[in-house]
Amino acid sequence: MTESKLSIVDLTKKYAAGLAPAVDRLNMEVEEGHLVALLGPSGCGKTTTLRMVAGLMDPTAGSIMVDGREITQEPVNKRGMGMVFQSYALFPHMNVEQNVAFGLQMRQVPKAEQKARVAEALDMVQLGHLGKRATKALSGGQQQRIALARALVVEPTLLLLDEPLSNLDAKLRDTMRTEIRSIQQRTRATTLFVTHDQDEALDMADRIAVMNGGLIEQFGSPIDVYERPRTHFVANFIGQANFLTITVGEDVGPASAAGERNYKIEVPGLGHFGAVGASGLTGRSLPVLIRPHRLRASLQPSASVQELKGTVEQVSYTGDTLSIAVRVGDEVLQSQLHTTSGSLPHTGDTAFLSWDPEHAYILPEHAKAVAA
Amino acid sequence: MTTITTENPVPGTREGLESGVLEAAANKRRKRTYLALLIPGILGLLVSFVFPLLYMVRMSFNEGAPDGVVIDTFTFQTYIKPLTDPYYWRVTLDTFRMGLTVGVLCLVVSYPIALFLVRSTSKYKGLLLAIAIAPLLTSAVVRTYGWMVILGTNGLVNTSLESMGLIGSPLKLTNNMTGVTIGLVEIFMPYAILAMISGFGRLSPQLEEAAGSLGASKFKVFMRVTLPLSLPGVFTAFLLVFVMAISTFITPRLLGGGSVQVLATEIYDQTTGLLNWPFAAALSVILLVLFGTIIAIYQRIVQKIGG
Amino acid sequence: MKKSIKGKIAAAVTVSAMALALASCSGPGNAAGGDSPTSGEVSLIAYSGVWQDQYNAAVIEPFKAKYPDIKITYSSKRSSAEMLSALQGQKGKPSTDVAIMDNSVSTSGNKQGLFEKIDAAGVPNLANVADEFQNKEGFGPVVMLDAIGLVYDTATFPTPPESWNVLWDPAYAGKINVNAPPSLLGLSLTAITSKMEGEDYTKSIDKAVARLQELAPAVQTFAPNPDEYQSIITGQTVLGLGQNARGQFYSDQSNKKMGVTFPKEGTVYQINTINLVKDAPHSAAAKTFIDYALSAEAQAAFAEKLFYAPSVTNAKLPDDVKNRVVPTDGSLNIVPLDVDFLSSARDKWTDTWKRQIIK
Repeated sequence: MTESKLSIVDLTKKYAAGLAPAVDRLNMEVEEGHLVALLGPSGCGKTTTLRMVAGLMDPTAGSIMVDGREITQEPVNKRGMGMVFQSYALFPHMNVEQNVAFGLQMRQVPKAEQKARVAEALDMVQLGHLGKRATKALSGGQQQRIALARALVVEPTLLLLDEPLSNLDAKLRDTMRTEIRSIQQRTRATTLFVTHDQDEALDMADRIAVMNGGLIEQFGSPIDVYERPRTHFVANFIGQANFLTITVGEDVGPASAAGERNYKIEVPGLGHFGAVGASGLTGRSLPVLIRPHRLRASLQPSASVQELKGTVEQVSYTGDTLSIAVRVGDEVLQSQLHTTSGSLPHTGDTAFLSWDPEHAYILPEHAKAVAA
Repeated sequence: MTTITTENPVPGTREGLESGVLEAAANKRRKRTYLALLIPGILGLLVSFVFPLLYMVRMSFNEGAPDGVVIDTFTFQTYIKPLTDPYYWRVTLDTFRMGLTVGVLCLVVSYPIALFLVRSTSKYKGLLLAIAIAPLLTSAVVRTYGWMVILGTNGLVNTSLESMGLIGSPLKLTNNMTGVTIGLVEIFMPYAILAMISGFGRLSPQLEEAAGSLGASKFKVFMRVTLPLSLPGVFTAFLLVFVMAISTFITPRLLGGGSVQVLATEIYDQTTGLLNWPFAAALSVILLVLFGTIIAIYQRIVQKIGG
Repeated sequence: MKKSIKGKIAAAVTVSAMALALASCSGPGNAAGGDSPTSGEVSLIAYSGVWQDQYNAAVIEPFKAKYPDIKITYSSKRSSAEMLSALQGQKGKPSTDVAIMDNSVSTSGNKQGLFEKIDAAGVPNLANVADEFQNKEGFGPVVMLDAIGLVYDTATFPTPPESWNVLWDPAYAGKINVNAPPSLLGLSLTAITSKMEGEDYTKSIDKAVARLQELAPAVQTFAPNPDEYQSIITGQTVLGLGQNARGQFYSDQSNKKMGVTFPKEGTVYQINTINLVKDAPHSAAAKTFIDYALSAEAQAAFAEKLFYAPSVTNAKLPDDVKNRVVPTDGSLNIVPLDVDFLSSARDKWTDTWKRQIIK
């Protein structure tokens, strides 16, 4: 096992006896230089986890290690991490430079060096010209950058970002997303990033920890969690998803992805199709995931491909794409079509749905009861 | 250029004139409504504050003869006496010293409570706040009597200390400035707490956490973040307590046992004991002027450092 | 220079401390109903507290029983000065009819034209008032007498102290209460001390001041609370100044925990007069009340309740009461404090106490 920058072992937080733990025996390894997104709905424990790592909250059990050193009992001010708060938490009684210099002052960095490093940090976030401004005179985006500069100027062991973009308007959020990512890559600061926005996580993170009910449901690269979700919850939380409960049939050989197999599957009462999944699933009844944009819908039946026949119930047009809801038996499946693709369906039309086997992924486990 | 049509009436044209007039009339109407709404308040102020104040100022230039006889005249004698008499200088200085001491001590004991109440996330926060300001529900007189009982020669404090063998004879805790100070500090605590809480708006746990995450120890967090951000509340509370302390009468009178002479007790004695209203009025005016000056200076200072 | 009495509205005072003095200046409501010797409404201004309670029980209730058509409204004040202040505020259009107050204050009121003269025609019982207690100019007469005494804790003093000098005894340092001037108690102590020092206090009180300065550090309070009697009863002090009448009353109330005595060097009278307010709205009914207040039964009843000595010659007191009210037969050594002198000395002596004695 390679040395991780951050290891979290069995981390648990219980707010009160009798309550379900907010974080329940959580384990995670973060590699040096990675940006890891803690992604999940509100109440999933992601912020609690971040605060425990920061030292702002004491864990009930478990340990946190940075560079192999146990820091679970260390007070916040000894941990040397940089944190950016949702509300930025800039000191209102200090100007921009004083805010950025605060961490250096606490470390008793010599005055001249402080000055140079503050200037450098401000240049990095392109706000070198605002050093003498009062923080309250700045826009949200500018405040965000100051907060980032303040956290980074101390060269933190870990950079912790608590929903840093949620207070910005949509357009600025996109710009800041790119900027934070590029600054993170330049500084190579190992970063923990809390968000509830899956686009943000997919776009920025090296690794995503999808959290639910105090647990990490899946920890993996953006492609992993999107394409190969381990659970119904992950599939549903990241992107849109269609699920069909199927019976896994014969294993027909290795799939293109390592370790995966091609299977025949049976959609009960509707026919046999192809799908991929982990090995050894034959005979089990499991959900299969097909992303809407990978579910083809056509108005004409195809002679060569096995299809599901259904009725278009709803059509919604968004310019680039057309989303349709098709009723097939008891299920309603979503399909996304490009508006370039010839004749477009209308409500009430009969539609024929098909997919490539490699786009249908059999989830390794059954859906759990998941709180919305 | 005569054919230009415009949606905005051009000033000077008939249209412009008319709409201008209409607007002016509307403005006038609005102003009149505002004035009408202000009348009850202004009348109330005139009757309850301005007229009595003017009457008092006028009274202060009369001459007071024994047994409440007021000689209608115009003299500065009532002002010359307190301004030239070392006794009144001493009384004035004592008054301010008392205000300062009470103000500072009150802040010291109220600050942690206010800070705790602001930060508390307990579900009993409302209840705790209510308890903190509950003393306001009883009158200052009752609380002052309470302190007389507690601090007296045979009071709780002295008997406990004596029974523990810490003191041989009772400490003199009442009928002097010590007792008055203790009483006033307690009586003004709820006001100080309320004033501080309302002035702690800029405090937030996140700022303290941010400072901590940047390497500040608990002490540094307090000195560099909590304290500076709470200063507006501290200043407000101090001014409030100071002003109330130097104008208060009941507690210095009751707990002072006649030995604590401040401007308020002096005014009371002159008014009700010696019936020298002109002199009492002059002392009141002096107190008022001192008030005004101090508040003005104080505001200046606060603006400079509080920001 | 035009002289006038302080006037009209008492609203003058909003500034903090002054407000207190005026809180109750509004006085009882104005004239309601008619006015005749047997009907109407009499508005009385007099002392508050225990004095009010006992006067109500001893005089006002029986009076109301006798004259059911006369209603009495009682406006209570803590001191005669406050009564004077209230009457000055009402001058010209008074709402008060009768005032019972300290002689020195009422004399000043007479001079200021606040009171009406009364005669035996309207007030027959005036004839029973001893000559020396009649007002020479015909204003309201003395209605009761008391004197300044030494109040003491009976546990500390099984036998009453005989001399004022006990106040200076180091054994009781820190356990003494003295009401400072302008209270009559403090003014009286000044005169008594001056006399003990062999001074003529109408000329100088320098020696008295020196002696009182020695006393000052031993004084626990110059403004006892709730009052000088409770101070002794609750054990905060063991010795102090008080009035005989209230002292006797509280001595009974406290089951003799406290006592009051007249030391041998003499003492000062505290004399209350009953006065008809000039232009009183219910002058006829008011005279009926004054007459009743000077009746032998009312005087005796109040003496029994609160131990004030009657001013009328025909009041008969039981022996156990007679022994406890202040003697008016010349047997008590009296330090005279002339009313006119007091009026000029009050300010000066108060100032002297504040500057030189209380420090």
